[in-house]
Amino acid sequence: MNARNYQKELAEETNAVDHLNEILKVFDRSGVTPVYGMKFAGVGYKLQTPIIGRVVKRIINGVLHNEGPKRKHIGVDGHFGQVLPIEDASYIIENLAAEPLTLNYCVCRYMCRGEKDARCIIFGVMSEIADKIPRYIPENVKRPMDREETTRYLESFSEEGLVSTIWFHPVPYITAICSCENPDCMGIRMRQDYDIGLLYKAEYVVQLNPDLCEGLGDCVSACQFGALSFSPTKNMVNVDLDKCYGCGNCRNVCQHNALTLVPRNDIKQVAGRY
Amino acid sequence: MIAVRKGKTKITIDYSKCGPHGDTDPRECTKCLRQCDRPVFHLHHVIVNGDNPWDPSYWQVTPIYTSQCTRCMRCVEVCPVNAITVSW
Ligand code: SF4
Ligand code: SF4
Ligand code: SF4
Repeated sequence: MNARNYQKELAEETNAVDHLNEILKVFDRSGVTPVYGMKFAGVGYKLQTPIIGRVVKRIINGVLHNEGPKRKHIGVDGHFGQVLPIEDASYIIENLAAEPLTLNYCVCRYMCRGEKDARCIIFGVMSEIADKIPRYIPENVKRPMDREETTRYLESFSEEGLVSTIWFHPVPYITAICSCENPDCMGIRMRQDYDIGLLYKAEYVVQLNPDLCEGLGDCVSACQFGALSFSPTKNMVNVDLDKCYGCGNCRNVCQHNALTLVPRNDIKQVAGRY
Repeated sequence: MIAVRKGKTKITIDYSKCGPHGDTDPRECTKCLRQCDRPVFHLHHVIVNGDNPWDPSYWQVTPIYTSQCTRCMRCVEVCPVNAITVSW
């Protein structure tokens, strides 16, 4: 929650404008653009071969987390994100995000489904650059928006069951809060299917109070990550903490308040594992 | 999790039927993108000299996550111009 990560000075320091100019122009090509000579196409097969897999994963992770000044402005350099519960996401929009705030069509959904869906809230210099790209500008949405209106959009997305995620672009400059789903989101996809660190779990993890769970199972379908399952034997929900990303969506649909979010580092089993 | 299936899945798209030089514009059709549950395909623009990079006009579909393909063949069935083949 460091306000500095949103400021314009940081954007200038990290060359964010150049980075974003380059990256946004070709963002919907990220699946077919080679990153350091490697394409994501067919990446699953490369990872299956044990040794090559390890090397490929290390290179890709290294590229993503590249903070150095010699960052090349291509592909997904220095671009990764983290899941946020809706309270934290709203707090950031209300207090920290750099103006102007705009709502844009989601690039991932367009790539994956050919669907133009306005889900991504972007801040500061990234908004100004996105203004140049007509295909990402939704109709009938005010541009830019005030903080209150933006928060309302974000909350409505969360009610639909989408997961809020915050993105560095490039690290450590924070540029966007998106509302994602599995498997259309490239970030979730890469992390879930290939274990590539494009997206990290939230600072929280879910806890089930077995005394309160009535076995309604609404939470099972609310979880985008398959962390919950229904047990007919126990007439209760099973939680797989290793799969939980800490988004809090299950908690929002539970009618008996049986699910709560607790800080990840308070739970020994998952502490420090993002 | 990488699903383990015997052999590699090979997916091809005939760009003479769908894409910037074909009769179908994938941005209008999007059938394979929507039908594939995994989703294996990506819609993306193609860089062509002289095209406006901020508003490109050449688009095609590429099978990216072929290792995730469940071999259900739905994409082959829905493609209106029979541009897709899936084999293994
Ligand atoms: S279990 Fe709940 S908090 Fe964890 S990922 Fe699933 S919906 Fe989110
Ligand atoms: S065969 Fe099925 S899983 Fe494979 S690409 Fe086609 S629609 Fe997707
Ligand atoms: S279904 Fe066939 S015609 Fe339609 S976008 Fe896919 S490949 Fe092109």
